[in-house]
Amino acid sequence: MKGKRLFLYLVVFLSVLMLTPMLFAAEKDIKIGVLYPLSGSLAGIGRDLQRAAELTVDIVNNKTPGVDIPMAQWGGIPSLGGAKIKLIFADHRGEPDRGADLAKRLILDDKVVGLMGAYNSAVTKTVSAVAERYGIPLINDSSTSPDLTNRGFKWFWRTTPHDDYFNKDLFELLKGLTEGKVKGVKAIPKNELKNLAYVCENTEWGSSVAKSIEGFAKEYGFATSKGMLYNANSPDLTSEAKALLAAKPDAMLFASYLSDSLLMIRTLKGMKAHTKFFWGQDAGFEMADFAKTLGTDIDGVLTRTVFIATLTKVKKVAGQVNGLYKQKYGDDLTGATARAVVGVQTWAYVLNKAASTDPKAIQKACNEINIPASDLVMPWAGVKFDATGQNILGRGLIGQYQKTKEGTIDLEIVYPFEFATANFIYPFPGWD
Amino acid sequence: MIIADTLLQGILMGLLFALVALGLTVIFGVMDIVNFAHGEFLMIGMYTVYWTSLLLGVDPLLVLPASAIVGVLLGLASYYWLIKYLLRGPAIAQLLGTFGLMLFLRYLVMFLFGIDYRIIQKGLLVGKSLAIGPFIFDWTKLAAAMLSLIAFAFVYYFLHKTKIGKGLRATAVNREAASYMGIRTDRMNALAWAIGGGTAGVAGGLLVNFYYAFPTVGLLFVMIAFACVALGGFGSIKGAFFAGLLVGVIEMLFPIFGSLIGSSFLGPHFKFTVVYLTYFIIVVFRPQGLFGWKH
Repeated sequence: MKGKRLFLYLVVFLSVLMLTPMLFAAEKDIKIGVLYPLSGSLAGIGRDLQRAAELTVDIVNNKTPGVDIPMAQWGGIPSLGGAKIKLIFADHRGEPDRGADLAKRLILDDKVVGLMGAYNSAVTKTVSAVAERYGIPLINDSSTSPDLTNRGFKWFWRTTPHDDYFNKDLFELLKGLTEGKVKGVKAIPKNELKNLAYVCENTEWGSSVAKSIEGFAKEYGFATSKGMLYNANSPDLTSEAKALLAAKPDAMLFASYLSDSLLMIRTLKGMKAHTKFFWGQDAGFEMADFAKTLGTDIDGVLTRTVFIATLTKVKKVAGQVNGLYKQKYGDDLTGATARAVVGVQTWAYVLNKAASTDPKAIQKACNEINIPASDLVMPWAGVKFDATGQNILGRGLIGQYQKTKEGTIDLEIVYPFEFATANFIYPFPGWD
Repeated sequence: MIIADTLLQGILMGLLFALVALGLTVIFGVMDIVNFAHGEFLMIGMYTVYWTSLLLGVDPLLVLPASAIVGVLLGLASYYWLIKYLLRGPAIAQLLGTFGLMLFLRYLVMFLFGIDYRIIQKGLLVGKSLAIGPFIFDWTKLAAAMLSLIAFAFVYYFLHKTKIGKGLRATAVNREAASYMGIRTDRMNALAWAIGGGTAGVAGGLLVNFYYAFPTVGLLFVMIAFACVALGGFGSIKGAFFAGLLVGVIEMLFPIFGSLIGSSFLGPHFKFTVVYLTYFIIVVFRPQGLFGWKH
């Protein structure tokens, strides 16, 4: 009996001994929860986003030579005594309810000071609702459904421009084609480019793109002869493709993630589809794997994007960060990964400005933050949030995949017109 | 005309669904076990053909036997190293056991090969289409359908015309009586799993020619296979065949139907809803499925 009691005392003593360091040590790390789809159908995208975020947090935490912005010389957050940012990644698999559960866990168990993510607009919607309820700041780096900033939330900020901006760009391009503003193409008569068809995946993102396209089409005087929503995880898209072709549209507009965009293009190629204008709303269409998998099959395909590798030639810091990313992982930055960079960067600047990990201080810093254009890898005018939490200084680009002389595929800028890096290919070459 | 085209496309996909459902129904018919890991057998078949074709530089259709062999071995391994022990326990253990196998295989593959999507890029038939009159068919899908049909016929012949096959069917009908007749139940169980794994492997090997291989692809197809098996009748091979065709046709026809009647509400996003709705209705009015027998 005595031996047992002694043993019990020993166990209690050792437990207390183990716990005390945790109680007395100062919190040197600033924890930020990052929610991305790390498995499931978007795993490839999630993995790339994670890599970009980790690279950026390395640049913030350690003095990095060769990146000519002040942030790279901080070595931690200056106003918090050089405290390092620690990213805690959580995999939501593309499921909104799982995202919400993970957000709660990050807030309540891991005690993060803020959140970032979640790529899928559908997941960002639920995650931000959790953040709003608990009063924890969420900086959204790459979800583009316009609704996200229309909810009057006080704890949600979005650095990326949203789909209404991007769809307006699309229609400005279509309008520009009919007015001869596009590099390398004479003005197209309006009645030749009249009928549009859109095919969008059916979650929060795709359906809001569909709604947005309908709205702009009316405004710019185009007719939508066919509009379809489909399940991105469908094993087969033959009937969707058939329905699309039956409408014989002048322009085909897509909002697809990676695996469905690959499947759709393969299916359309198999049916020898042809049209005049083939455009994808970023996501699947601008991932590195898209060009790698489909190769020269995508000659002439347009995609909305926010970042193109050719920008690295004109913006020094873009080239430097891209160089680091490419050296480590072998790929150039894309629109999604470059936005993950900006997301972490924004967190670093906000924490520095707040000089505190108190949520209210961070909230104030977010509402007042103003990151200059020269500090960003993006071709934006900066990062500054309006009253709804939307960054008003961002902008989109439209790129076109074009075959090079060597037989590879490059993404050239075709919009804004003044940034165009190549002649626009019109009409879409197709697969006849 | 567009309906005829869609019908034919539906039959092509349907034959593949039928092949996936075949393995599942054989296992259930003989052992009364629902194999949750069936989709993973399919997925491993996909990876087998992908890697073998890539590493050996051989046309993916010629490497198909490899996925059959790997599938058979996988089925046998699952039986002898897991299912056999589960049989001693209650039915719930068997259900959870195959569920656990599913998770194990899925994440093992994710660990070994990563989450990237892989599809056959080079092959004799890849990217080529056959045009017969106004109909255009993807050659890989056509080949998959024809080979599915051959595989189906092969299994049907095996089960109905050979002695071992008849033994298997006898065990499915009444296990005890069959064992009194000298048919070793243990061997028949293993055979059922071998057939299940083999057919799923072959289906996967055909599928990877036109669909992506990734660790969680099994879930997608096993759900369809369950619907087919329940629709056709658990344990009925004829049922699996016709249910597969039915599901393939509904899945293809529904989006076209929606656009033909000019409705945008009835779109492709509901196609699986209709498939499962059909299954639900048949199961309510005829619980044994189309061809199953009343237990």
